[in-house]
Amino acid sequence: MSATVIAQTIEPRALRPRSWTLVVGLVLVGAVVATALVSLLWLPFSPEDTTGSRLEGPGGAHWLGTDRLGRDLATQLMIGARIALLVGLGSVAVGAIIGITIGLTAAFAASWLDDTISAALDVVIAFPVLLLAMLIVAAQGSSLASVILAIGLAMSAIVARLTRVLTKRVLAEQFVTAARTSGTRWPGIVVRHILPNIWPTLSVNLALQFGVAVLAEASLSYLGLGAPPPNASWGRLLQEAQGTVVTAPIGAIAPGLALIALVLGVNFVADGLRDVADPSRRRSR
Amino acid sequence: MKKHTAFVALGLATTLLLAGCASGADSSSSEGASAIEIGSLYEPQNLSNFGGGGQGVTEAFNGNVYEGLYKLTDDGSVEPLLAESETVSEDGLTYTFTLHDGVSFHSGKALTSADVKASIEAVLSEDSQSARKSSFSAISTIETPDDATVVVTLAERSISFIYNLSYIWIINADATDLETTEDGTGPYTLGEWTRGSSLSLERFDDYWGEAASTDEVVFNYFTDATALSNALLTDEIDIVTSVQSPDALTQFTDNADYVVSDGESTTKEILVFNDRVAPFDNVDVRKAIYSAIDTEKLLNSIWGDYGTLIGSMVPPTDPWYEDLTQENPYDVELAKQLLASGGQPDGFEFTLDTPSYDPHPVVAEFVKSELAKIGVTVNINTISSDEWYTKVYKAQDFTATLQEHVNDRDVVWYGNPDFYWGYNNPQVATWVDEAEASATTDEQTEKLKLVNQQIAADAASVWLYLYPQIVVASSDVSGYPVNGLNSQFFVYDIVTE
Amino acid sequence: MIVYLLRRSAFLLVSFLIAMVAIFVLLRLLPGDPSNALLSVTATPEQIAAAQAQVGADRPVLEQFLTWFGQLAQFDLGESFISSLPVGPEIAARLSVTIPLTLISFAVALVVSLVAGVVAATRSDRWYGILISGFSQLGVAVPVFWVGILLVSVFAVGLRWLPSSGFPRDDWADPADALRSLTLPIVTVALVMSASLTRYIRSATLDVMGSDYLRSARAQGSGYSEALWRHGVRNGAVPVISILGIELATTFLGAVVVESVFGLPGLGSMLLRAIEQHDYPNIQGVLFVSTLVVLIIGFVADIAQRLVDPRLRLSISGNR
Repeated sequence: MSATVIAQTIEPRALRPRSWTLVVGLVLVGAVVATALVSLLWLPFSPEDTTGSRLEGPGGAHWLGTDRLGRDLATQLMIGARIALLVGLGSVAVGAIIGITIGLTAAFAASWLDDTISAALDVVIAFPVLLLAMLIVAAQGSSLASVILAIGLAMSAIVARLTRVLTKRVLAEQFVTAARTSGTRWPGIVVRHILPNIWPTLSVNLALQFGVAVLAEASLSYLGLGAPPPNASWGRLLQEAQGTVVTAPIGAIAPGLALIALVLGVNFVADGLRDVADPSRRRSR
Repeated sequence: MKKHTAFVALGLATTLLLAGCASGADSSSSEGASAIEIGSLYEPQNLSNFGGGGQGVTEAFNGNVYEGLYKLTDDGSVEPLLAESETVSEDGLTYTFTLHDGVSFHSGKALTSADVKASIEAVLSEDSQSARKSSFSAISTIETPDDATVVVTLAERSISFIYNLSYIWIINADATDLETTEDGTGPYTLGEWTRGSSLSLERFDDYWGEAASTDEVVFNYFTDATALSNALLTDEIDIVTSVQSPDALTQFTDNADYVVSDGESTTKEILVFNDRVAPFDNVDVRKAIYSAIDTEKLLNSIWGDYGTLIGSMVPPTDPWYEDLTQENPYDVELAKQLLASGGQPDGFEFTLDTPSYDPHPVVAEFVKSELAKIGVTVNINTISSDEWYTKVYKAQDFTATLQEHVNDRDVVWYGNPDFYWGYNNPQVATWVDEAEASATTDEQTEKLKLVNQQIAADAASVWLYLYPQIVVASSDVSGYPVNGLNSQFFVYDIVTE
Repeated sequence: MIVYLLRRSAFLLVSFLIAMVAIFVLLRLLPGDPSNALLSVTATPEQIAAAQAQVGADRPVLEQFLTWFGQLAQFDLGESFISSLPVGPEIAARLSVTIPLTLISFAVALVVSLVAGVVAATRSDRWYGILISGFSQLGVAVPVFWVGILLVSVFAVGLRWLPSSGFPRDDWADPADALRSLTLPIVTVALVMSASLTRYIRSATLDVMGSDYLRSARAQGSGYSEALWRHGVRNGAVPVISILGIELATTFLGAVVVESVFGLPGLGSMLLRAIEQHDYPNIQGVLFVSTLVVLIIGFVADIAQRLVDPRLRLSISGNR
């Protein structure tokens, strides 16, 4: 409802000098993207190669050592990069498509329908993502796609609420009223007036949701959902390494750092984007 | 400006105060009582042995809260417990048991033959979910001529009858609500069960036998192995009943404060084929798969230096054990030949239904990479344990799966063609029946060895390895069982120095 | 205001009813069978049938639904399929862990982030302002369970200051003991939560400081802190209150992760286990309570926001 919606329109501000965060963010995200691209063409070892010995330490042929089955950790990490990007982009895509559609519908709809949609969104937000994920995994089988779908659906409720309030704000503007009275149909209004006006705020929020999605996937993996190696996410690698944290700490540290780097990078980029999108919010102090 | 610094200081102070008053409680609590704290991964689902309580209830209650007419000791022998003596008729069909004198239930009622009769009948009843039900199909009548005597008549000889009786808890026939309460005759009574956390046992002062050593024993339940070993390291618990990962062990093996016991286990990790369906209805194909898997490396990956390789369903603690590990040796060339003679020279593809909990996913990945070497492609299908029962166990709709089988003497399931793995060899079925009808244990052992050899020769399943049974305890604790036979864990002799 | 309150209450009720029906229907869509949790790998066909009868899964779905709703109307959450224990008391016991965990973490995070957020905004040129901002960025990018695992290895396994997991058997009988078990979980949650709250509070503070009314108040000669106090806090509080509502609800729902790390017998771990076992009465019970809690948090946040914000207070027509 109103409270929560307003809250989502104020996003946390960027840190300090803007250019600095944007650059760091782009470097971090760029590194992950580059790793993911390289992993498509070349990997140090085959992900299913179990010729290494059990829990080798870093150094030698296996730069970061091996896991319990003797698989190369660096290889798993590289594959993890593309899975992390897939989780982030996939979830955001699902969340954005469903969320924006529902949000626009609510904003344009009659009061009763608007209220109903809002009530339903409240319910979805009160529904634990864990259960949603487990329901989808149970129905679809345990795969990355199931987890992405679950996170995307949970996210769509948040995106829908934000879209709805932003759209309503734009609809109240005079130029839109003018367009409406002059006979422009609603698809025209959406494409010409609404989307361009809500997109700056929305895109920043979606960028932040990317990081949230990657973290959510890690938590779900920790609880035992999510696809296992050799094509594991960083979250899943963390979960697998938990039992060997004493004997082979690198297995728990490396994926953790990778995860933090990506989320941090994306958040920095989101902060930078906000300033590009909305220069008025740039601090003068 | 100073004001803000003061704010920060205030915030820090609040946090520290909270942490401080919390850690200040260190000395005042918990350590005072003499309770033995046990850590386990197996919380009971409910407290009933025939309402699906699972492994956890056996661990906490067997021999501690409930007792049988006989007990399976930690070294695997069967001894009389509530039965003082028995006589067996010449034909082996009539068993007369005399009950121990002066035994009473925790509720105060004296034990009579009627309770024994009711307890056995409960296992045999229609709606019993006891895993032991089928072991007692030979029973025809149970009579109680007087309060201290039970006479059981069998329709056919059953050499394992006494052994099987060690699994039957004698419960007060008048007791109700057995899923949430208990009324047994053991040295301990149920204290408090906090779901998701712990179950405590308190000494029963009117116990008929030798009183338990410690006033209170608490089973603390954990959901992951790391948390379990952390709790032992931080002295929150004294004993871990069954360590499930070798990686935590290095912290204890080199440490004089702890004792690591490597005992005997009966838990087998099995790659189960559906022997009914192609291509696993072909013996050569099954043997090819067996020979393509380096079980030694697998065991090392999962358990490091612990655990045992087995060549068949029978663990070394069963009387009919034989070393059959060379029946299907690890030999990739041999595997390729067998594959060819089995009509699959170019390999094939199959789906491996893999339970989502440890160690199965890791085992599945290993099997997948091993079989890739002989051109067999494995599609790993991860399923929940719930789905496993629906799809694999009940519907038998699978090609291959992974599962652990925990009980001893369970090779006899290969004599049941309707069992989920669908191994159908009439000769084996006959041997299993004959073994049960044997007059002597020697004869039984001889028959079951034949079974053992035959299923290995047929590679009915791939018996990947035998789990180790590792108990880790503080070195000031003694008197605990070290073997994990059928998940029992007798606690009545445990003492702290 | 009264009209709004009534309207908002009706809204709460409708949302809740939608949720309950949705939960029941969704659970029945789950493939699988609750009786499976009662079986062993040597179960016979008769035993399988018996297990199904025990959990009542053989009854028609509509009948199950009506029974459940009938019980709910009498504040009875039914009995677990698996343990046969009543659901209500178990949830109450679990809440005695999850609610203190959530609320104390929240309080700690709130205090820390209020201070840190304001300092970071007003002293963004000082090293500590920068440090706080940096930490808050980092805190938002770290998985909660990772922080938990780290804290356990340092403060429990390494330094032996605090227990690594679990909760006292006697619950809150000895509050110091209970608090000791909750210290690491609370620090874990509070760390992550205060990172994100700090970002919002810093943002709200910056907005207030840059706002016209503050500038004009200062131009009119009020002292800086006086102006900040009079206008800033109230205006800044409006968006912050709703963020607080969201954070509180998220933490409550997300407790399952931290409960797993620290082996706490809370509501989240109950849900996790119940889902694994298809223990419908337990799942429904937990969701009944958690949905109610989350919706009420939203309700309270909305009301509080209205009370604080004079502009919102004037409008009568609900949520627009």
